[in-house]
Amino acid sequence: MKIVMKFGGTSIADGKRIEQVIDIVHENIRGKNKVILVISALAGVTDNIITAIGKALSGDQEAITRIIEKLKLDHHRLAKEVVKDEVVLDAVLLELNELVEEFKRVIFSVSYLREVTPRSRDNLLSFGEKLSASIICAALKADALKVKWLSGGEAGIVTDDHFGAARPLMNITNQQVKERIGNLLDEGIIPVVTGFIAYTQNDVTTTLGRSGSDYSATILGAALDVNEVWIWKDVDGLMTADPKIEPLAQTIQRISYSEAMEMAYFGATVMHPKALEPVAEKNIPVRVKNAFNLKKPGTLVMEEKLVKLGDAVKSVAMIKDVALITVSGAGMVGTPGVAARVFSILSENHVNILMISQGSSEANISFIVSRESSDRTVNTLEIALLGGDTVKDIISENDVCVVAAVGAGMKGIPGVAARVFKAVADVGVNVRMIAQGSSELNISFVVQEEDSVKAVRALHREFRLDKSEIT
Amino acid sequence: MRIIVLGFGNVAQPFVKILCEREKELSGNFGLKPRVVAVVDRGGAIVSSSGLNFTRILEAKKLGKSVAADTKLGRPRTTGMEIIEEVEADVVVEATPTNIVDGEPGLSFIKAALKKKRNVIATNKGPLAIALPSLMELARYNGVCLRFSGTVGGGTPLLDLGKKCLLGDKIQSIKGILNGTTNYILARMTEARVQMDDALKEAQAAGYAEADPTYDVKGIDSACKLVILANWLMDRRITIKDVNISGITEVTLNEIVKAEEEKAAIKLIASINGGEASVSPRLLPKNHPLCVGGTLNAVTFTTEFAGEITLVGHGAGGVQTAGAVLRDLIDIKRELSL
Repeated sequence: MKIVMKFGGTSIADGKRIEQVIDIVHENIRGKNKVILVISALAGVTDNIITAIGKALSGDQEAITRIIEKLKLDHHRLAKEVVKDEVVLDAVLLELNELVEEFKRVIFSVSYLREVTPRSRDNLLSFGEKLSASIICAALKADALKVKWLSGGEAGIVTDDHFGAARPLMNITNQQVKERIGNLLDEGIIPVVTGFIAYTQNDVTTTLGRSGSDYSATILGAALDVNEVWIWKDVDGLMTADPKIEPLAQTIQRISYSEAMEMAYFGATVMHPKALEPVAEKNIPVRVKNAFNLKKPGTLVMEEKLVKLGDAVKSVAMIKDVALITVSGAGMVGTPGVAARVFSILSENHVNILMISQGSSEANISFIVSRESSDRTVNTLEIALLGGDTVKDIISENDVCVVAAVGAGMKGIPGVAARVFKAVADVGVNVRMIAQGSSELNISFVVQEEDSVKAVRALHREFRLDKSEIT
Repeated sequence: MRIIVLGFGNVAQPFVKILCEREKELSGNFGLKPRVVAVVDRGGAIVSSSGLNFTRILEAKKLGKSVAADTKLGRPRTTGMEIIEEVEADVVVEATPTNIVDGEPGLSFIKAALKKKRNVIATNKGPLAIALPSLMELARYNGVCLRFSGTVGGGTPLLDLGKKCLLGDKIQSIKGILNGTTNYILARMTEARVQMDDALKEAQAAGYAEADPTYDVKGIDSACKLVILANWLMDRRITIKDVNISGITEVTLNEIVKAEEEKAAIKLIASINGGEASVSPRLLPKNHPLCVGGTLNAVTFTTEFAGEITLVGHGAGGVQTAGAVLRDLIDIKRELSL
């Protein structure tokens, strides 16, 4: 089997974790598997770099120097702990120093100019992964394995020049990755690739945005036609609900790509939807596993026809920190273009809308936005819409939550909505607003914040998600 | 429109000649004012940002072995890469010799030109066979055209027929004879009952085969063309590695005679359907539409609505291919003035 394995920042945080990484690699090599490792930055490092950029913008060179020293110290300490061969250790310490020096030059130039462009920001952010990959590579080498670390760009991932959230040019990427990583594998070398970072067509460093390392892993997996992509996390996998809200929540064993994407939209932190795209296209299964608990089977994300549908709903999600905004006025009835105005104003102001609903009476439009943008949104709409004959009132309610039932099994099955709303009604919760996309992968509704936990638990019970045989 | 010509051999020379002869017509009918701002060959380059005099380029070539021999505008030892980087142009015509091992130098030329946002017309199959999906993506991303009509079927508009005349229809499979040289060899063996070596020598004497016929007889040329057809017309992102190739080298005179007795012929057939892409000698009934003689090419498209369409025509030749380059140039002009 050929497997891409991605290790997140917490799964390589200390000596013990890295030893476990080495064990996992050895075990796979013994099992005649070919592995490609994708490495994130150490936990907290990316945040430190972001802090350093902030300090650079205000010209606080002392603070930058402190952060750089800490960066160097932390990585040196970890290298000394995990690299069990003096020659290899000396080499990697040297390499870390060079990387830190390079980082220093770039961040200081930012501090001189007090200006950071998306391009230089990506360049700076890329150092976190380079530092960690170089340590992991050395640790494996000291353990008598043939390894080589490369940046995502060197591995062949080419993106557009949308710095900060670049999208891969998949055809060029496929070809280059096949050549470069394929050659390493043929020579029996284990490639260690930095997650999150890539190159433009002209070899300028870009980053893949949120959840970027997972994306790197799936891009490499798709290019190399691997058998599976394994994402090592610090959780058991995808859950039927947030265990903090529903203690009876279970790990979902199998789930389809589209369900997993849908769950991610509803805040399951496990995988970003775009990260699933490259593998979904080629039907390459993704295993989400817990690096802190190897015995747990994790969640397998795979093509729909191999996933048992089970009951209609596979998980219940909740989005907190949202606000319900209602635009109303009797004059809106039969007046065309009100909705268009509302939403174009929102889009001009970069307000993201999570849910929309308008009854056919047309007397009001309701939608959900994130709570932090609600004051700004209401104010902008008031300036633009009030004072005419159509819109009379713009109201925001901040004490609401979105609850969503997700599952491909509800597709084409009548009565799921009835079950959802009966279950919620039975526990005395009032539903404020409802939306179901025609993909029928989820039913979402809005409730008072104080009712949200009750609603989640009621659905979890109704669809028997607490029974572990859910697959 | 400013044009850089890379490689000045049996395609690029007739192309420049056509531009010269058709100047008025191109400008009158298509609003196309071609200015060749640089020509590069093995020996170097000839450059003029305001456009070279067509006869001057051809003269310079006659004068020495390279266009760089021009005393005033010639730049000996200047490479194609340098010209792409330095000379402003709208279109780069890539006409260097085919190399199927790594596609170079054409592959680097095309990539560099696309990255500089130049439209590219390629007549060189090597880079396309190796990296067509990537190159198409690179062109799309940089917002420029990549055209290569001359690479398949020479003057016969195979690529355009499939792409433009069948809009909305879906090509389900492609099957055909894509190499004139091997078709000639097989036809001569059939007609004159000669051994393959002799037929090959005849083909070389008639100018139908290169001094090194390896790419033709091993089926590689056909495979390159199949890759291009599959990518362009069927949206199949394959490269030459995905084609099962066997050439005509194993075909014996005996087999041909035996086929003839059964009212059939052995033809080197390239084909792709839903699944596999392959090039191999296959037996065809004599009355089959693909059973063409001489150096002819013939291709059958099977489409969802129109059914089977077979196109027969002359394959590659300098003038034919040059004509295809002109088609591409006019097409690009139209795209640019949209």
